[in-house]
Amino acid sequence: MPMGHTATAQAGSGGRTATEHRLANGLRVVLSEDHLTPVAAVCLWYDVGSRHEVKGRTGLAHLFEHLMFQGSGQVKGNGHFELVQGAGGSLNGTTSFERTNYFEVMPTHQLELALWLEADRMGSLLAALDEESMENQRDVVKNERRQRYDNVPYGTAFEKLTALAYPEGHPYHHTPIGSMADLDAATLEDARTFFRTYYAPNNAVLSVVGDIDPQETLAWVEKYFGSIPAHDGKQPPRDGTLPGIIGEQLREVVHAEVPARALMAAYRLPHDGTRECDAADLALTVLGGGESSRLHNRLVRRDRTAVAAGFGLLRLSGAPSLGWLDVKTSGGVEVPEIEAAVDEELARFAAEGPTPEEMERAQAQLEREWLDRLATVEGRADELCRYAVLFGDPQLALTAVQRVLDVTAEEVQAAARACLRPDNRAVLVYEPIEVPAGGDADDAGAGTDTHEGAEQ
Amino acid sequence: MQYHPQPTPGVARPWAFPAPERGALPNGLTVLRCHRPGQQVVAVEIFLDAPLDAEPEGFDGVATIMARALSEGTDKRSAEEFAAELERCGATLDAHADHPGVRVSLEVPVSRLAKALGLVAEALRAPAFSGSEIERLVGNRLDEIPHEQANPARRAAKQLAKELFPATARMSRPRQGTEETVRRIDAAAVRAFYDAHVRPSTATAVVVGDLTGVDVDALLAETVGDWSGDSAEPGQAPPVTADDRGRVVIVDRPGAVQTQLLIGRIGADRHDSVWPAQVLGTYCLGGTLTSRLDRVLREEKGYTYGVRAFAQVLRSTAPGTSSGRTGAAMLAISGSVDTESTGPALDDLWKVLRTLAAEGLTDAERETAVQNLVGVAPLKFETAASVAGTLADQVEQHLPDDYQAQLYARLAETGTVEATAAVVNAFPVDRLVTVLVGDASQIADPVRALGIGEVSVVSG
Repeated sequence: MPMGHTATAQAGSGGRTATEHRLANGLRVVLSEDHLTPVAAVCLWYDVGSRHEVKGRTGLAHLFEHLMFQGSGQVKGNGHFELVQGAGGSLNGTTSFERTNYFEVMPTHQLELALWLEADRMGSLLAALDEESMENQRDVVKNERRQRYDNVPYGTAFEKLTALAYPEGHPYHHTPIGSMADLDAATLEDARTFFRTYYAPNNAVLSVVGDIDPQETLAWVEKYFGSIPAHDGKQPPRDGTLPGIIGEQLREVVHAEVPARALMAAYRLPHDGTRECDAADLALTVLGGGESSRLHNRLVRRDRTAVAAGFGLLRLSGAPSLGWLDVKTSGGVEVPEIEAAVDEELARFAAEGPTPEEMERAQAQLEREWLDRLATVEGRADELCRYAVLFGDPQLALTAVQRVLDVTAEEVQAAARACLRPDNRAVLVYEPIEVPAGGDADDAGAGTDTHEGAEQ
Repeated sequence: MQYHPQPTPGVARPWAFPAPERGALPNGLTVLRCHRPGQQVVAVEIFLDAPLDAEPEGFDGVATIMARALSEGTDKRSAEEFAAELERCGATLDAHADHPGVRVSLEVPVSRLAKALGLVAEALRAPAFSGSEIERLVGNRLDEIPHEQANPARRAAKQLAKELFPATARMSRPRQGTEETVRRIDAAAVRAFYDAHVRPSTATAVVVGDLTGVDVDALLAETVGDWSGDSAEPGQAPPVTADDRGRVVIVDRPGAVQTQLLIGRIGADRHDSVWPAQVLGTYCLGGTLTSRLDRVLREEKGYTYGVRAFAQVLRSTAPGTSSGRTGAAMLAISGSVDTESTGPALDDLWKVLRTLAAEGLTDAERETAVQNLVGVAPLKFETAASVAGTLADQVEQHLPDDYQAQLYARLAETGTVEATAAVVNAFPVDRLVTVLVGDASQIADPVRALGIGEVSVVSG
């Protein structure tokens, strides 16, 4: 039976609270009330991602995510989509290294439908899964791979850098999209086994956020999910821990049809969930976030050697996180000139640390990003699941902003000194194979990036 | 597991698109404000009546450079200082130029709204436009062009504009200019464009968010209230015309693993009474993966990750302000398919259009579309930024402030027959210009065989 406890509002949460419950079959449930808008988000995280995949079957977790939209015991064909959209809701699913998530955002009075749908596929997907949907979604995913990675300039950079940064055999060596050969090799039996292994209530966290009545919601969750049996067949993912630093500079030069030279690099950083990771996040923001960062000021404003220069952070809990450098060069500028400037800026920052103004700026930027994340019921539901699945405590989502604001300048400097050094990175250099013809282009938004149902 | 019957919905709780409060400052600036409880990140949209049509001959891109230069220094701060101050507020500031005018978009936590809005006011009132910064922005813009050219979706959009509109029309050419025109832009050109088109009396500011405890009047007076300028008549927009004779243009990309499709023409904008029916019909055709196009192209054939049909307003003015049609929307179908499937995918796409014209939409399709389009409104407009964006769109398209709220009522009243007529009129099979960015050696013959129009090939 559900058990719960009452949470109290925490600092930095905007007065929001969440309660936690667990069904007898092991399904963890997180509820958070907010009656400002008549909408409710349902988010379901399964603790399975591409890190759980085995050799020869890369891309299976993501392909499987597509199959979750192809019908289940009581839902025909595309019924998940049809029913949610016909109820005025929106839905999607995504797959990453560490988890697979599914969500529906519904007008309040349609919340029960979303819970019924999620329970139906968690409990009875295999009743509907067949060769026809497997073959069809295999083709769709291969076209997704072509569209998002293979047919765009620099599109496979992420895949290449990841493969450099995590050694052969490491669970994060390959990305969630997988290889064409492995997508071709996946069988219906692989998909069935994958479902039986990972899609169990005790391997998932369900959050419901928004204009809800917690008692009523919990009763619905118990009604629809309560009879789904637990399953303990899951093996833990292969160990993703690695030494603190790489210890040498890894490097690959790619000669490809790209419009300009590029310098990209991945720095090995502390695991997500640690104070050191938050410190590294602030360091990367000072160095490469926004239009007033050190790298932007140096390369784009002063030296004028780059079109764009910045850092991003890929937070990972089961392996070292990655600090992501991306610089596209201007005109005929050569990569070594860029690289020398980057190294000089990183070394200076490690030696001096951030100024008080830089700390204020970086913390204000990360605070706003958090406020944006928590501004929608969907964003809040996703963050509650994230902290529950990866760190065992959804309440941490409500205090994450405060943790970033508590980090000191000394800790930021220490993170930079420890991690942002040449012997702790994998470097990817792009050299164009032909000088592209002069021309012009439009930024007209005549396309759409929205592809519900199956985003990686 | 134990199966349960599909639940029935509860009672819908009322929701309406928010009505803004409209006013004006003594300097002539129009202000729309809207309180959205709980939205701690405030969105401010400022619309400047500086349309692309107003760019001087040969200076395409000057509106874009001006928009970007607004945040590159003022009479009080250098470019670096301005960016640093703004980001210390936790703010983001974007400015971009499009056919209707320039939009400046600020997002900032409400606790730092006053300071950030003060900076934006400074940028509008006294931009530095220093020679060195303009030179840098021009160089940066020139560097961006090859990246856009390489992107299949952007390359397709550029080609479609060139095909549809007469060469003399600004709409036929890239919004942000070409290498040739951008190269000519200097600080004097930017200053002249600013002096001619940027003033509070023809601008509108939209402020949306949780404004509890914020003295909005005082805040506006101390910030954008300080901006001064002369008065001016709103500009006259020339009529929009397009050549939509059915034809195919292949932008050659040897070796491409996919073909980018963009199939379009122009049609009714929001001032046309057919708009709600067009929205409904277009959704049924290609709004989502259960719409007619993806039901075949994606979910049956696996040719694509997704194909969408949409209507995007290019520029719009109230009817009757001049002769001819001055407003128009781009009506288009876009997506990408693997190279080998290009011919079969286009064949199926045309079959979907022909079947739709012959048999019409079903009542069930229309009902699902209405439920979705109306039902998702409270989800879609949860954030301050989404509300502010729509209010500013209404302003730049010369629509009343309650347009979006009324649209939902009109969608609900639109019948199957009207929606069918609208979408069939929007996408007639013989009046569509098809742009394909892909490997001509692989796709040209199969596409010719379809008979959907004369096929020509241009270089990538």
